[in-house]
Amino acid sequence: MIEIHGLSFRYADADRDALQNIELTVPDGDFLGIIGPSGAGKTTLVHSICGLVPHRRGGDFYGSVTVDGMDTVETELTDLARVVGTVLQDVDSQMVAASVDDELRFGLENFGVPKDEIEPRMAEALGAAGISDLRGRVIGSLSGGQKQRVAIAAILALRPKILVLDEPTGELDPAVSEQIFRILREMNERYGMTVVVVEQKIMLLSSYAKRLAVLNGGRLEIAGPVREVLKESGRLEEIGVNCPRVVTLSRHIRDLTGGKIAATVEEAEALVREVLR
Amino acid sequence: MTGFLDYVPGSSVLHRLDPLTKLVLSLGICVAAFVSDDLIFLLVLIALDILLGVLGGVFQKALRLLSGLLKLSVFLFLLQVLFVRSGTVLFELGILKITLDGLFVGARLVLRLTAATLPLQLLLSVTQLSDLSGVLVQRLFVPYKYAFTLTTAIRFIPVFAAEMSGIIEAQTARGVEFDTKNPVKKIGLILPLCVPLLISSVGKIHESAAAAELRGFTLRTRESQSKRYVFVPADYAFLIFTVLLIAAGILF
Ligand SMILES: Nc1ncnc2c1ncn2[C@@H]1O[C@H](COP(=O)(O)OP(=O)(O)OP(=O)(O)O)[C@@H](O)[C@H]1O
Ligand SMILES: [Mg+2]
Repeated sequence: MIEIHGLSFRYADADRDALQNIELTVPDGDFLGIIGPSGAGKTTLVHSICGLVPHRRGGDFYGSVTVDGMDTVETELTDLARVVGTVLQDVDSQMVAASVDDELRFGLENFGVPKDEIEPRMAEALGAAGISDLRGRVIGSLSGGQKQRVAIAAILALRPKILVLDEPTGELDPAVSEQIFRILREMNERYGMTVVVVEQKIMLLSSYAKRLAVLNGGRLEIAGPVREVLKESGRLEEIGVNCPRVVTLSRHIRDLTGGKIAATVEEAEALVREVLR
Repeated sequence: MTGFLDYVPGSSVLHRLDPLTKLVLSLGICVAAFVSDDLIFLLVLIALDILLGVLGGVFQKALRLLSGLLKLSVFLFLLQVLFVRSGTVLFELGILKITLDGLFVGARLVLRLTAATLPLQLLLSVTQLSDLSGVLVQRLFVPYKYAFTLTTAIRFIPVFAAEMSGIIEAQTARGVEFDTKNPVKKIGLILPLCVPLLISSVGKIHESAAAAELRGFTLRTRESQSKRYVFVPADYAFLIFTVLLIAAGILF
């Protein structure tokens, strides 16, 4: 469980708060999507969960963030990392090794996983990320989508309770983005892993996440189950979060069907059929 | 296609050598190239570099580096030839004077540069970076922090090169002509780009350090690495060979 109370953060050299009075609770087993325009504070929020804020980012920190019972300000970064696995926004700079195998081995060795357990854990994580065939490859020769999945596998191998990802599909095409989100759903549904993911594509996010949090200018504007948040399409548009066309369509359908909302294309199709009947 | 510093997977004799042996061998060749003044010996060293490249199955890559070095070599050679003014004069026209010493010094510089660069590339082609940092930590007791810094720097070279060409592309799109033949003008165009590159590099390195820490970097000790390294007879053979090579370099 992640509990955030009255969190405000201002970077040392900034003249305004990157986060303002954030109240957010993420229960165990949740799949939370964070969305918001550029500069909204999404990365800052993610860093507050994994502890980089305030441990490695100087600034004024108010309020509290508790992860699995640990206060992030009082807990060492490395101890937080045993619980929270984080995939950062820039995939290139978070690679620590030159080959896929070494990339996965790094964290396992550091956290002292017994030597005879390292192999099976690597195989399992690569399998979960759907990249067993990348074994032995040099990272420099991988595509963006492959690198992203290696980064995810390297975190999955550590078996964190909470998985946090900052725009894992930023530079990927729609098909590969879907693959990434399928991995996340699998982790969430099968292993009960709590997933927190920052994503700009609201369509993609709404079809996988259970709940959404909308950030704007450092404030948490809306938070709740996907369906509830999508209902506020007027406000979403105002914030500049691109509303999926199906939502705009379903807003019209809602008036015709008496309050029914579609979150995915399939649901919208069903509703359209209903209206046409 | 892999970059010119990337590891090339394989199972050649060189790949199977202990990383420490490869490190000693390649540094040994560099040392030999620097202690010897003999042009023939330097040529022999280059031949040896190429032979090792063939042995390691990375001959193509060595050739690519060689052709890359060629341009720089021509430039350095001409510079030496024009600036060295002592020795037997071969040709004189106004202030232009070419001497035997100049030719000799120029050739030596170029051969030495080539003989000393190739083994470093060879080392990186047949040794995984993790093995390199692994032996530094396990065998030579280098603190992991420093070994990691070294391998990270090597890994980031292609990333920065890509970034640089990205910036150049963006500037070209805005009408800056980078394909000018005038080297002074070219340097004048590229130098200002180094500032944004430096800023983004520092940012990337910070991010990289943070990412490593989130994966337990600070917990890592000499014992953390699961892989262990052992010498086989071939390693001793190559080590003795390296010692002989340096001795020969001092003699010639
Ligand atoms: N290291 C830093 N120092 C100073 N200010 C920063 C720093 N990092 C971010 N900021 C500022 O804090 C605010 C929030 O930034 P943040 O990176 O969290 O936004 P974001 O929602 O992740 O944006 P993006 O979608 O572009 O990744 C922005 O105004 C940004 O300029
Ligand atoms: Mg961000």
